[in-house]
Amino acid sequence: MDVNIRIAGEAGQGVQTTGTLLVGALAGMGLSVFATQSYLSRIRGGLNWFDIRIGDAPLFSGREAADLLVALAPEALETLRPHMSDGGVVLLDSEEPAATGCISLAFTKTAKEIGGSEVMANAVAAGAAIRVLGYPLDGLLGFLSQKFKKKGEETIAKNRRCAEAGAKLFASTPPRLPAPKPGGKPVSVGNATQAIVLGAATAGVKFVCGYPMTPGTGVLQGLAAVGDEFGIVVEQAEDEIAAVNMACGATYAGVPALVATSGGGFALMTEGVSLAGMLELPLVIVLGQRPGPATGLPTRTAQQDLLFALHAGHGEFPRAIYAPGTPEQAYHLTRRALETSHKHQSPVFLLSDQFLMDLQTDTPTLARTLRPIDRHILADPPEDYLRYAVTESGVSPRAIPGGKAFVIVDSDEHTEDGHITEDLEARVRLQDKRLAKERGLRAEALPPERYGPEDAERLLICWGSSYGPCREAVDLLDAEGASAAMLHFRQLWPLDAAAVRKAVAPNKKRAPRQIFCVEGNATGQFASLLKTVGALAECTSVLKYDGLPFTGAEIAERIRHD
Amino acid sequence: MAFLDHGAAGAETRRAAPKGFAMINPPSDNRPAWCTGCGNFGILTVLDRAIEEAGVDRRRLVLVSGIGQAAKLPHYTRANVFNGLHGRALPAATGIKLANHALEVVVTSGDGDMYGEGGNHFLHALRRNIGIKMFVHNNQVYGLTKGQASPTSDEGFVTKFQTHGVILRPFNPLAIAIVEDCSFVARSFVGAPEHLKAMMVAALKHRGGTALLDILQPCITFNRRNTWAWYRERCKPIDDSHDPTDKMKALELAMKWDGGIPIGLFYRSDRPTFESQQPVLARGTLVEQFAKAAV
Repeated sequence: MDVNIRIAGEAGQGVQTTGTLLVGALAGMGLSVFATQSYLSRIRGGLNWFDIRIGDAPLFSGREAADLLVALAPEALETLRPHMSDGGVVLLDSEEPAATGCISLAFTKTAKEIGGSEVMANAVAAGAAIRVLGYPLDGLLGFLSQKFKKKGEETIAKNRRCAEAGAKLFASTPPRLPAPKPGGKPVSVGNATQAIVLGAATAGVKFVCGYPMTPGTGVLQGLAAVGDEFGIVVEQAEDEIAAVNMACGATYAGVPALVATSGGGFALMTEGVSLAGMLELPLVIVLGQRPGPATGLPTRTAQQDLLFALHAGHGEFPRAIYAPGTPEQAYHLTRRALETSHKHQSPVFLLSDQFLMDLQTDTPTLARTLRPIDRHILADPPEDYLRYAVTESGVSPRAIPGGKAFVIVDSDEHTEDGHITEDLEARVRLQDKRLAKERGLRAEALPPERYGPEDAERLLICWGSSYGPCREAVDLLDAEGASAAMLHFRQLWPLDAAAVRKAVAPNKKRAPRQIFCVEGNATGQFASLLKTVGALAECTSVLKYDGLPFTGAEIAERIRHD
Repeated sequence: MAFLDHGAAGAETRRAAPKGFAMINPPSDNRPAWCTGCGNFGILTVLDRAIEEAGVDRRRLVLVSGIGQAAKLPHYTRANVFNGLHGRALPAATGIKLANHALEVVVTSGDGDMYGEGGNHFLHALRRNIGIKMFVHNNQVYGLTKGQASPTSDEGFVTKFQTHGVILRPFNPLAIAIVEDCSFVARSFVGAPEHLKAMMVAALKHRGGTALLDILQPCITFNRRNTWAWYRERCKPIDDSHDPTDKMKALELAMKWDGGIPIGLFYRSDRPTFESQQPVLARGTLVEQFAKAAV
């Protein structure tokens, strides 16, 4: 069974802090969690909420209806009460008696009295929420001690007293909600932003730069936080154009480098992507998608920049695009993106989005040991070294400046030695060489992952962050006796059309009766790409572009009606 | 869609081209693409001498440029070369220097590239004070695109684009650099090769961070206003009595133009470099740190 807890309030009221406390406490007790955030592009006011779905088995999606709503502001009630499940409990931070069906608890007043600051209303609220679920308070108290360790004993004691007071506030006002039984053994919780940070840091990234933009900022700040530990220089550039060109410079000089950005910021980087294509530099771009066009919905989610990433940059050059579906995949694919970019000397994308970047869910502990990737650099290049020597794979032996050989690179068309040329034969020779690298990239393309039976009647194709919700939809359909399976793509380019066709229908005699392509955009970008490469003839697109992530229940419902 | 085609398929198509459709390939070589009498030749010659005189190891030298006639210079000498995008020489140079701060990173590019397209990077490079040397070929005109105004063109300069003459005030790179406390600010003129060499050597030996050397240079084809003679008449070495650590005096000098153009070292400040303030770089260059960890 599972319970959906929703903490809601204005920006600046501590919605996120309360949510973080509960995630830490509940996972620590051994519950599976799937926590998502919904917030507005503002620092104060508005209405933000933090959903924590907990269960006694792994969860893969959020859900619309809340069983427990913790409203830190009365404004939350109007919007969110219609989205309560039957028998759901609503707690409101108020000193006044509440309206029917709503329990009024004075979180802020209690925090001021017990902790001496209204900031600790978060601990009071978390304490009350834990009691609504009928859990002992130990887990929360333990997590508070751990979380405020750096702030000292006094802060810990005050927060713990506030949590206890919160529990007491609720103790006298049942009903309690039926809640899943904690497993006892702490569940490790991961987040895609942190996973990308750790994946990059342990792969040996040495230079990171970018310009703050939601939802890419977390990766930049996360890498800054571990910069001293792993030996990484992280620079806030004056703009995204500078960021991508700095990264190109750093990779030319021989260190793995990465940029992180989002929609409009990435649009500014596109000339730099083309430069990496021409100079054959191992550039890695973490692209956190959000709904556009233009500034769009800055803090919401979307999967709408796939074709943009695929075509970004003028001219023709190979690239690879990965799109993780879980924090664990984000960790491994970040490393793979760095490896691939170095092996094939090409720009590589890691496509994520706000939903995945902010998601917190059960994740195995990710290794923190530094395991530098192979940069594929010549240790001892000859003096007559040619940076762009033509080879069958298209990959030329790479040297870096500072050694015996001069390393010459030019954004103009160039000859094998890297010098500018307008020799049209050289142009064709070098363009063929660059494009030849796509064969190597395609040969290493990661196959899609199937969840569900090989002969399922309904096949749900999805990519990137839709992994979890699609997987839950398959489980929901399966529980009803409907035959369904999921095919999840974590690499979107290059695609091996023959391999995809085989993955779609492993058993030719029992090919899926209906194929759905589930994606977070308005035009069915991946479906059109699959058709273009000849991997898929027909499918029904299941699209969502309201800025919110899919839920499993929503996908299942839309499949049922198709 | 072209990207779906493997490179080899394109080659097949090309080889199958019928007779009479053969490629006409114009002659191509790596000789300078500059006009005879262009100031870029002088800058190239003096740069080569300055590199020798300053004792710079060419294997550890990276010449970085953007796009423009000046930006082609790195191809005509012996060094590592990063000839990047228009306006983006500075960020690329910054990335190179941060990845391996043991390299000597010199940006040689034009006024359009550095002060126009790359204007924002110019401002922030000055703030960063990273150990990059900027040698800006300033001919007050766009050469590669054939004669439009540059950010430093004089007011009233008539071109095919600015048909009524330039209305915008000229950009003053030296004054901006002094205001932003750039650690080395100088100007020279290609018609004074010994002076230019001395300035280049001083900039190459500068260890205090970013150095800006603005080099006045005639464009004999597209700028008939600021000619060799025009510059010769006006360029005057800064008096020995000038104290380059006096910021206000330096700024006053940088504001002079019409009544005579001062050349020489305007300003020098003692600021910590960007790289010296990166705790991670105290452990060695990033490229060394990676290599060590990879063993």
